[in-house]
Amino acid sequence: MTEEHFVIIGNGPAGNQAAVTLREKVPEARVTMIDKESTGCYKPNLLPEYVVGKVSEDKLYISPLDFYKAKGIKLRLGQKVIDVNFKGKEITLDHKEVIRFSGLILALGGRPRIPEPLHPFEDLMFTLKTIADARRWIQELGKVESVLIIGGDLTSFAVAKALLHLGKKVSFILDEDAFWPVRYNKEIYEQAAHQLTQKGVKVLACRKLKGVLRRSEHSLQVQVDDRKIEVGMVGAFFGLVPDVKFLTRSGLQIERGVLVDEYLNTGFEGVYAAGDCAEIYHPEIRDYWVSIGYDNAVNLGRIAALNMAGGKVQADVEPESIFFVKDIRANISWWMEF
Amino acid sequence: MTVEVCGMSGDGTIAAGGLLNEALSRAGFSILAFDSYPAEIRGFGRCVTRSRVGDEEMLALSDRTHVLISLDDEQSQSRIPFLAKNSAVFFDNNPPSYIPEERSIASHVEPGTDLFGIPLADLATRAAGSARGKNLTALGGFAAVFGVPLEPFQEVIKKKFMPKGEKVAEANLKSFEAGYAYALKTFSDRLKKIFVPAKKAKGPEKVLLSGNVAISQAALDAGLELYFGYPITPATPIMEYLAKALPERGGRLVQMEDEISSIGAVLGSFFAGKRAMTATSGPGFALMTELITHGIMAEIPAVIINAQRGGPATGLPTKTEQSDLHSAVFGGPGDSPRIVIAPTNVSECYSYTLKSFQLAEKYQTPVVVLPDFFLNNRVENVPLPSASEGEKADGNIYPDKALKGKYTRFEITESGISPRSIPGMEGYNFSTTGLEHTERGIPNYSPENHMMMTEKRHRKIRSALTDLPAPVEFSSGGKLDVGVIAWGSTFGSALEAVNRAQEKGFKVGALKITSLFPYHADIIRGFMDRCEEVLIPELNFEGQLANLLGHLHRKDVLRLNRTTGIPFPVSAILEKIEEILGETKR
Amino acid sequence: MQEKTHYPTKNGTRALEVIREITFSTDPADFYYMDVNVPCQGACPAYTNIPAYIRCLFEERYSRSYELNRIANVLPGVLGRICSRPCEAKCRHGEPELGQPVNICHIKRAASDFKEAGHIYMEQLFAPLGKKVAIIGSGPAGLAAAHDLSTIGVSVTLFEAFEEPGGMLRYGIPEFRLPRDILKAEIDSILRLGVTLKTGVRVGQDLAMEDILADYDAALLAAGCYKPLKLEIPGEELPGVYTGLDFMIQVTSGRPPHVDKRVLVIGAGFTVFDCARSALRLGAEDVSICLRRTEEDLTVTEDEVFDTKREGVKIKSLMLSRRIIGNGQVEGVEFVRTRPGEIMPNGKRSITPIGGSEFILPADMVIVATGQRPEPLDFPGERDKDGVLVAEKETFRTSEPNLYVTGDYLTGPSTVIEAIARGRAAAEKIAEELTGQKFREKAVRLEETKITDRLRSWDFIPRQEMPFISPIEKRFSTPNTEVEIGYSHEQAKEECKRCYLCYLHYEIDMSRCIYCRYCIDVAPRDCIKMVRAVETNEMGAITGFVETQQWRNVNAIMIDNTRCIRCGECVRVCPVDCISVTRVELVERMLPREKAS
Repeated sequence: MTEEHFVIIGNGPAGNQAAVTLREKVPEARVTMIDKESTGCYKPNLLPEYVVGKVSEDKLYISPLDFYKAKGIKLRLGQKVIDVNFKGKEITLDHKEVIRFSGLILALGGRPRIPEPLHPFEDLMFTLKTIADARRWIQELGKVESVLIIGGDLTSFAVAKALLHLGKKVSFILDEDAFWPVRYNKEIYEQAAHQLTQKGVKVLACRKLKGVLRRSEHSLQVQVDDRKIEVGMVGAFFGLVPDVKFLTRSGLQIERGVLVDEYLNTGFEGVYAAGDCAEIYHPEIRDYWVSIGYDNAVNLGRIAALNMAGGKVQADVEPESIFFVKDIRANISWWMEF
Repeated sequence: MTVEVCGMSGDGTIAAGGLLNEALSRAGFSILAFDSYPAEIRGFGRCVTRSRVGDEEMLALSDRTHVLISLDDEQSQSRIPFLAKNSAVFFDNNPPSYIPEERSIASHVEPGTDLFGIPLADLATRAAGSARGKNLTALGGFAAVFGVPLEPFQEVIKKKFMPKGEKVAEANLKSFEAGYAYALKTFSDRLKKIFVPAKKAKGPEKVLLSGNVAISQAALDAGLELYFGYPITPATPIMEYLAKALPERGGRLVQMEDEISSIGAVLGSFFAGKRAMTATSGPGFALMTELITHGIMAEIPAVIINAQRGGPATGLPTKTEQSDLHSAVFGGPGDSPRIVIAPTNVSECYSYTLKSFQLAEKYQTPVVVLPDFFLNNRVENVPLPSASEGEKADGNIYPDKALKGKYTRFEITESGISPRSIPGMEGYNFSTTGLEHTERGIPNYSPENHMMMTEKRHRKIRSALTDLPAPVEFSSGGKLDVGVIAWGSTFGSALEAVNRAQEKGFKVGALKITSLFPYHADIIRGFMDRCEEVLIPELNFEGQLANLLGHLHRKDVLRLNRTTGIPFPVSAILEKIEEILGETKR
Repeated sequence: MQEKTHYPTKNGTRALEVIREITFSTDPADFYYMDVNVPCQGACPAYTNIPAYIRCLFEERYSRSYELNRIANVLPGVLGRICSRPCEAKCRHGEPELGQPVNICHIKRAASDFKEAGHIYMEQLFAPLGKKVAIIGSGPAGLAAAHDLSTIGVSVTLFEAFEEPGGMLRYGIPEFRLPRDILKAEIDSILRLGVTLKTGVRVGQDLAMEDILADYDAALLAAGCYKPLKLEIPGEELPGVYTGLDFMIQVTSGRPPHVDKRVLVIGAGFTVFDCARSALRLGAEDVSICLRRTEEDLTVTEDEVFDTKREGVKIKSLMLSRRIIGNGQVEGVEFVRTRPGEIMPNGKRSITPIGGSEFILPADMVIVATGQRPEPLDFPGERDKDGVLVAEKETFRTSEPNLYVTGDYLTGPSTVIEAIARGRAAAEKIAEELTGQKFREKAVRLEETKITDRLRSWDFIPRQEMPFISPIEKRFSTPNTEVEIGYSHEQAKEECKRCYLCYLHYEIDMSRCIYCRYCIDVAPRDCIKMVRAVETNEMGAITGFVETQQWRNVNAIMIDNTRCIRCGECVRVCPVDCISVTRVELVERMLPREKAS
């Protein structure tokens, strides 16, 4: 088959932009997008507002399905990739289909992280990453009055804010283990706690989270240090870990995310990574950098596509590994240390 | 919605389709189902079952499929272009070996399609020890996702497989339940719950019947004891059905050496006063035509089922067509009028076959019942048909007692019907012949006699109009922009198209023609006069009904012809209607 | 070998003869077959007959299962807990579309746990030879060699420098992974053969090697690797900095060092994880493992990594230590970031430090566990530039006559099961040298059998998870209790059901096959092929199939045993019953003693 086949795994913001860019730059090639979710591309950053009803479902989506057909991009939804042979340039799907590619962009995104000590309580906690998650939140919120948020990533603040809008009683545990993307220190802890308390959120001090138990159908008991706290629902926000578990031992260099250079290339010819799943080594800052946020993901998707189509565009990074997120100054390399 | 099961022959596709129809019918839904399978017996062909399910009576097949259950992905790929938007596809997501992109069904569906991958072979093996039941596993998955209750499926599975032994029934039931459980769990956030059994009023008992079975049962209900025939697709199932049923009532089925002797035997039987029947298709009917005209000349009853298929000659034995109208109405030498009636659905297959015996006897003529392959093989759930005593009764008009000793067989009467005696009736001897003859049945070639007898025979047939089903109009009455006239299985498609056009606000109507000869010219002309345009869709090339009736219209009728071998798509008729309306607006 | 069994009849006349044919083969093609088709056994350095012991356990013959293990590996209870499990990586059930590998190691432990209280140890003892051999080091290699030499008839004396035997098993592995009583029982079962154990004796210090060589017919050095590698960075001598080996020895000797709040453990092997978890149990609050490469490059098992993280240890990657900081006491470590590169010929990934990316992590205690080397000892014989005795890898011989080396001292750090295998191999070689005879050989045992009672549904049983102490806090209140609790009888049986029993060989008799292809129809994978020709290697073993879809080119229908999952469906469905099932096992056979010359 002489025709070039570019495959993008992941139908999130990064993958979408990559597909569109590829289609522009290489009009004759086949472009296929594969995603394990059945829904079209949506904006995950709007999910907290969708959960509380501030944003309607159709506003979540970026492009209707016809858009892809019109652009000649083959969109394969609800299909999961289970293995990639990077040298042989083959992808295997979970229904045992094998797809050959000439170029591959990994835009796998991240998956909510639950630290290992809390694994036994995984089923009792709610994470918020996909529309399916959001629907579960909506269902559960209809039955409970109080929510305990454990974590400290950007999403947790957005969710806390949104829940107040619904009139729920919100308590918050700022867990140093998940104070992402900010390096934990006393000053930042106090700043964040202060802001939360101002808004009406009860911030609980906590040294060690011991466990979560179900007391009744709509109430849970959370053991914090030596106290037992009753809440209706627990949300876990320990940041996102790149969703690359299935690629380990595939030969791809993976630390937390897929390790790529400043051109987003993985080291395998024709294989790039973009978005939340990419861990970019940038010679300017001499360190690793991970993008967060919708805009960054879109930008990286664009760059990966440009480079796959023959360009040589560098991913831009903030100098000196400092960046500003919602008025908080943060050091990124700390990210890798959980 | 339409549910398809597609597989390679040997996968149990047809069996799965059958169980699906039975179960959904038992759950109270209306079904119209039609299978297609290759001409080869085993191994190398694609089988597709299509079942249209709904709350109301289904008139025709749908153009689009809403659920595709794939038992063989390579075969099923050919069905993908027919999938509706946001349809659902069930397939085996753990095949024995890896498949390349081109051969995977998942790589060919549109993005909005709901894919339900179920490890069919693995689940069946785990549940029942072998993968043979994977067609049932797939049905289980479908039932779970679409909210069909378990019980109707369990009942029909037990009923079908119990004759083969309890173990077989158990294994099949387990395979089904394994698919059901798996789907319920795995797709718990994608269940559709569409099938809510309608609160049906206590109506008549419904049963799933194919056209062939309806025809066969009607003949039996008419008291049939003799069948003479030769097997030919698609009429063979009639012969098979009666071969089992007739000996049970002391009757007989004889497979003759060809169709000529078959019709000969039927005529002989009716001549001797006993009802008989033969069923054939286009090529066989053509062989029968000379003897049919013998029956017409000698005024002997006969019942012939002509199940149309693709032609000419051997043609397309497993495809549907409506190209034997000319042959049925005009086939055979000379001026040879006979009664030809064409059912449009399975219920009519029953009622017209039942009626044909009385018509044949009363009008002393061969009667041709003219279904097509689609009607013969499709399955609908219909109210259980039955025949009243009146409908079964002897249709012969016997001579008056007063005529004993002075009986004239071919007496010219006002209706054209000459009372008929059966050989052996003492005092009513007669002579008869295939040569032109006098009223007394003696051969005669004089010009006046031939004119008189020919006219008599024609008058007789015309008088049958009162006994024949009249055309039925489906419209709001009054003036119509487009009038669609159709016959046979195409009528269902035409009616659905007309209904949809009416919903869109167009002034259109449909006319159902079931008596092809003689036809009710006045009623038809009356309908045509109210139509701006008349459209006649048919599954034949020239438009055989259009040829027959077209002269009744004040201008040329518009023809819509297809010789595709598949049932007439509703959308084609609807598009043509809209095109015509677009034209006339200008 | 033919076994005839006579049954008496009612009137005592000649009875039935039941003849069972068993074949032993030493054909290289058969060994090749075993390597490829029973991947678990082929991957085990000791060639443990894994399918056989799994089947025994399934049949609830726990003692027999234990004994089958013991033939190849004399410490099944120990290895059943701490083995590195090269077999599981190759298990056929772990192939991509078939699921997860069988938990072979956990089953081995179950055999040890469930064997009868009055279990009878089976040993095949040769008559005494009148030879004496000294073994230096009572670690796994030394213990295995001691056992084998004893059974062959040699009188063995075991010298051990520490107070108790076991080597790294006793002093390098914490009790919560390997209980002392299990280790002691299995060591005792070796010593009981008449091995003389002398602990607290350091050869080369308390006793000269030359004296030993004078007293004994041969000496085997199995002293392991007890010289810890240093990082060679500034600050390594500060108080509060330990090597992994020293730390573990102190902990396991009952004299643990004082552990403060923040501990950094540098390194990437098993010892690192043992140190980290031990530090937690000694009261550390914040323990981090610092890797030069990434987590994916670890050779430690996934279960171990997960367990460690679950206890609260953090794993940090891509950092290279540059110097240890502190004023009179360790206060922290300075690292630079690294960039991973290609995989080098030695199997490890290359790393490049990134200049200018220095950062410091605070610490109260630093444990450096970056590997161990053999100690240079003042022994006769040729030595390398580090002072370590040089020996041939195949013959275990040094340049000094009658002085042999085996285990980690010979190869550098490896795994316990490899050490056991090498210990046994060295014992064989020594015995051969001393007597001029071969005592044992490996052979492939072939016996015709029926398909088993395994059901296809068993292939879908999920992996049985090892129960462990929960909640996590309980582990720290009882820090020496074994964390993994062990399978229950039901769990063990369920896990055994998962094994396909790859030691079964399914073959179609081509002369009787009627090419109906029913077998292909029921095959769950592409394991039965329509074949035009086969490819063979120089030993004559089949290495590949040339398949064809054209009927006229099909010369045979053949079962590809490398794809076969032994489900038995083909046998059940074959209408002419032409598929045979043979049990093929790699076994050890005793060789008859030749007349003394």
